[in-house]
Amino acid sequence: MPTDIGSFLIQLFSGLSRSMMLFLVASGLSLIFGVMNILNFAHASLWLLGGYLTFSLYQAFCSACGQHGLLLLLAIVVATLFMFAVGWLIERVLIRRMYARELPEQLLLTFALILIISDLIKLIWGVQNRRIFLPIEPVEALGAYINPYLFVVIGCGFGVAAGLWFFLHRTRYGKIVRAAVHSREMVGALGIRIPTIYAGVFALGVAIAAFSAGVFLPIVPIGLGLDMDLIVQCFAVVVIGGFGSILGTFVASLIVGIVYSFSVLIWPGGALAIIFLILVTVLILRPWGLFGTEMRF
Amino acid sequence: MPTTTEKRASTEATERKGWFRALYGRAGLSASVLAVLVPVALLAPLVAGEFSTVVGVEILILGLFALSFNLIYGYMGQISFGQAAFFGLGAYATALVCRAFQASTGEIGYFQFFFALFLAIPVSALGALVVGFFLVRLTGIYFAILSLAFGELLFYLVFSWYGFTGGDDGIQGILSPPFFRNSINYYYFTLGVVAAAMVIIWRITQSPFGYTLRMLRDNQRRAAFVGINVRRAMLLNFVIAGVFAGIAGSLWAPFQRSVSPALLGWMQSGSPVFMTLIGGADFFAGPLVGSMIYTALNAYVTRYTVFWPLTIGSIILVIVLFFPGGILSIIDSRLSGSSRKAEEPGRSGSPELANDRAVK
Repeated sequence: MPTDIGSFLIQLFSGLSRSMMLFLVASGLSLIFGVMNILNFAHASLWLLGGYLTFSLYQAFCSACGQHGLLLLLAIVVATLFMFAVGWLIERVLIRRMYARELPEQLLLTFALILIISDLIKLIWGVQNRRIFLPIEPVEALGAYINPYLFVVIGCGFGVAAGLWFFLHRTRYGKIVRAAVHSREMVGALGIRIPTIYAGVFALGVAIAAFSAGVFLPIVPIGLGLDMDLIVQCFAVVVIGGFGSILGTFVASLIVGIVYSFSVLIWPGGALAIIFLILVTVLILRPWGLFGTEMRF
Repeated sequence: MPTTTEKRASTEATERKGWFRALYGRAGLSASVLAVLVPVALLAPLVAGEFSTVVGVEILILGLFALSFNLIYGYMGQISFGQAAFFGLGAYATALVCRAFQASTGEIGYFQFFFALFLAIPVSALGALVVGFFLVRLTGIYFAILSLAFGELLFYLVFSWYGFTGGDDGIQGILSPPFFRNSINYYYFTLGVVAAAMVIIWRITQSPFGYTLRMLRDNQRRAAFVGINVRRAMLLNFVIAGVFAGIAGSLWAPFQRSVSPALLGWMQSGSPVFMTLIGGADFFAGPLVGSMIYTALNAYVTRYTVFWPLTIGSIILVIVLFFPGGILSIIDSRLSGSSRKAEEPGRSGSPELANDRAVK
């Protein structure tokens, strides 16, 4: 256990940044499941693809106009937009055909996507890990040295959470999406194109994931196989929080990220086991999650 | 169930289409497939090389593993994403006992070897009983995710318990008695065990209990109305499936001569799901056929290209998109010449029923 306030802070902030990464990926997963009832196994693979894309764009921009941290921002924006388009395409071509199918077939399709995406990554970027080095000096606070970029990351997480909430509750499109969750027939009858809504939601989820991969590049090196670890933990987050609930996903990400960060200190090998213990407890006592509603299933 | 008129119509159809279809209609696709496969399986190692024999052992073991999964999926209508936990428990039980015997003598006797294999049964049964106790309280997507979570939990336990399981190093150098070190001998031994297990699984699926499972799949509420103890039946089936997964695992350990935590991982849990869906979940022989396709592709495609995930991913994609019932359902609709889609009545082509299953 951390003995002084400094190492406590370090664990807290690394846990918070971990929470934010989980949230950014899991929120898309939760949104897609909430609206379309599709469990997208390949979500973390698309996250990984977004990360590699950001990396390459950043490299290209740097070689074109010199090393500058702000170029990363540009790379993230371009990669996010591109992955939005990729998400749209995947929904139009593949996911759309799966709405009437049963869960295992949906999972089988998205599992096939995992295999294809990870092999494409291997084909294009090779097998070594990639990361971006930003020249940032750690700041000292209460005897602990903390990378200030962590604050950027945590800020992004809170920003996206607030943005998603605003989008779903305060904008016209967000209201349409929520209405489509309750009754797609009624929304369709009112003259709104349900297929466009579905493609948009899927693309949005993928874009958020790609965005998070880019934002985390300076502190989390990406590599093959990382998507598998992440997707299983994101399932845990989504289930603990409750399917389709953004607030629940946010709270669950905080719980999982911070618990993981501290349990690594106590029992390094079993940190993930503790996460799954929480998941099992929630599933048995409250299968619909902390913030989900029992009605929907 | 098909109505009397439908039955009469299909009987007339088969009479018209001659003796082959009449025979086929009586035997069913699984029996026909097995009738073709049994001689192939018996003769294959005599004709094929060493490599193909090893692939054959893999097909048999993973086929049994997939059959155990389909007891839960195809017959009971729930998805277990943690089936590898019991495969792994069986493998580890056998490996640990083998290692204990080897440590004392440096060799392992036949009796000790069979004892080690047998021990997989109680160990995986116990594991399935504990996990199943919690699991049968849930259905649908929650059943799937809780089974995945339990599988991962067991994976991390094995992974981090260095003193007992060897952690991520696993256990290497598991010996089998001299006779079984020859891959052809081990092939026939595996064939015998898997064939016996298949006969037992077939008997279970045809028993009143097997029909209870189909009822739980189609409508749990109605099953409860007629007085079936839903949770107890689900638990019993879960334990049975766990035991067969454990037997498959126990055959795997001496075959690979090592075990590692990856045997309990979720990728390993995924393979029976994919095999079953590729072969056809509505057919008894589906998981076995799926194992043949999946394992053989895996083994042979890897020889020609390093990008086998891309290849196999594309194949799975095509199967899911265009042949949703699996390979056997295509063959079945071709051979029988009727619109009957599956051996299991009331399963395919009925979205209301599918919804019913997913909801309850």
